[in-house]
Amino acid sequence: MIVWSRSVRKKSNDRKKTSRSRGPRLFLLFVLFVGLLFTILTSATGRRFGVFHQVTLEALGPLQSLFTNISIGSIRLKDRYISLWNLQKENDSLRKELDTYHALLDEYREAYSRNRFLETELKFKKEETFPALMARVVGKDPSFWFQTLIVDRGKNDGVVTGMVARNSQGVVGQVVQVSDNYSKILLANAPSSAIDAIVQKNRVRGILKGAGEQGYILQYVLKNGEVEEGDIIVTAGIGGVFPPGITLGTVSAVRSKRRGMFLEIEVQPAVDFARLEFLYINLSEEQLVIDEMSRSLSSQGE
Amino acid sequence: MVTLSFLLLGFVLVAVQTTFFHQFPHWLGRPDLVFILLVFSAYRFSWLPGLLLAILLGWLMDVTSGVYLGTYLLLVLLVFSIVKFLSQNSAVKETVFQIPLVGGSYFCAQCLFYLFFAFAQPGALPPWSWTRVIQETLILLVASIPCFVFFNWFYEKLTTRRLASRQLKRGGVNRFR
Repeated sequence: MIVWSRSVRKKSNDRKKTSRSRGPRLFLLFVLFVGLLFTILTSATGRRFGVFHQVTLEALGPLQSLFTNISIGSIRLKDRYISLWNLQKENDSLRKELDTYHALLDEYREAYSRNRFLETELKFKKEETFPALMARVVGKDPSFWFQTLIVDRGKNDGVVTGMVARNSQGVVGQVVQVSDNYSKILLANAPSSAIDAIVQKNRVRGILKGAGEQGYILQYVLKNGEVEEGDIIVTAGIGGVFPPGITLGTVSAVRSKRRGMFLEIEVQPAVDFARLEFLYINLSEEQLVIDEMSRSLSSQGE
Repeated sequence: MVTLSFLLLGFVLVAVQTTFFHQFPHWLGRPDLVFILLVFSAYRFSWLPGLLLAILLGWLMDVTSGVYLGTYLLLVLLVFSIVKFLSQNSAVKETVFQIPLVGGSYFCAQCLFYLFFAFAQPGALPPWSWTRVIQETLILLVASIPCFVFFNWFYEKLTTRRLASRQLKRGGVNRFR
């Protein structure tokens, strides 16, 4: 009985509370309704961007700005990420492309230099009067004591021991041993080689001795001979083996010691012996060489 | 067969030395592979085939290098005989200890070569250069390590094949009789 009366009392209290809170709610609803109606009316009739519009926009603007920044940021981030992702691939392909171009450039450079070299050699061959036999260097001396070359021309091409080898730069050397298809050439800078030479500007004479990798030494030039650095040394043409006026080298150092009658003259070879690829053997000297050989043989026999 | 194979190898080495090695920069030097082969032959070959190989190698060097025929032949025979004598009378037979002897013999050979020319043909060779000779000797020492390994391998390959073929020939008869 007591429990029942308590529950009835509780229910009646709840009803009282509900009726008390319904009043302000209704009022609030009414205000909202009127405000909405007013807004709609002013928007529809006035066509003017009123205070409410502005307030709304002011409220919305920062939010929009925020969202826009976020979206732009995310797009940029995405783009950057993707571009980074692709960057490695692009980098690799560009590197490959660069390598290809480098290789091509090397080829063009090589072709260009070869072309220039061949042009010079062709010009030399056209200008020279002697019957030149072109020979390719196939081997170089394996030891560091001697300066010899092996070329791919021999007896079958008319090469005889003693013939002179030249190129467009100057005197290369002399044929020392011959087989049917190959010959050995003693370079002009070999220590056992000696050529009659003159200083081109004042015809001062001397003997040009080979000094191996150091080039040449011009010997037997008297101290009163006017020789300077940069002077060009050419063949004297004495003895008949080398025609006169062929370039041998340029004076690189002149020393005059207290003792002795002669100057010490170092000569830089005109020919780059380390990079010889082709040379010309002077075939016109064939008869001369044969005559000389037969003369020396007959004198030995006597 | 072994001597012939090593002679062919000598041919190849001379060709390499006179062509490829000249493309190398100057400081890298041009190791004398034929000399290394000569010293190897003194170690591994018996007197007769070794001498034959040495003569042919000297011949090859005479053809490709220098002007005065016969000098290399003499030098090669001398080096072969001395190294052969030393290797036969030495208690150390390890390959590791053979390498310094390559350098030593090369250095002595260069000195002898120069001395010979100083008396026989003065002025035929460029001035003596300690730096150059020592540099070449060091380069040769470095090059002799892989060369010795290769030559050893080649020698073993040839000799084992020869032994195997002999055993096969012997195996033709019934061994279980």
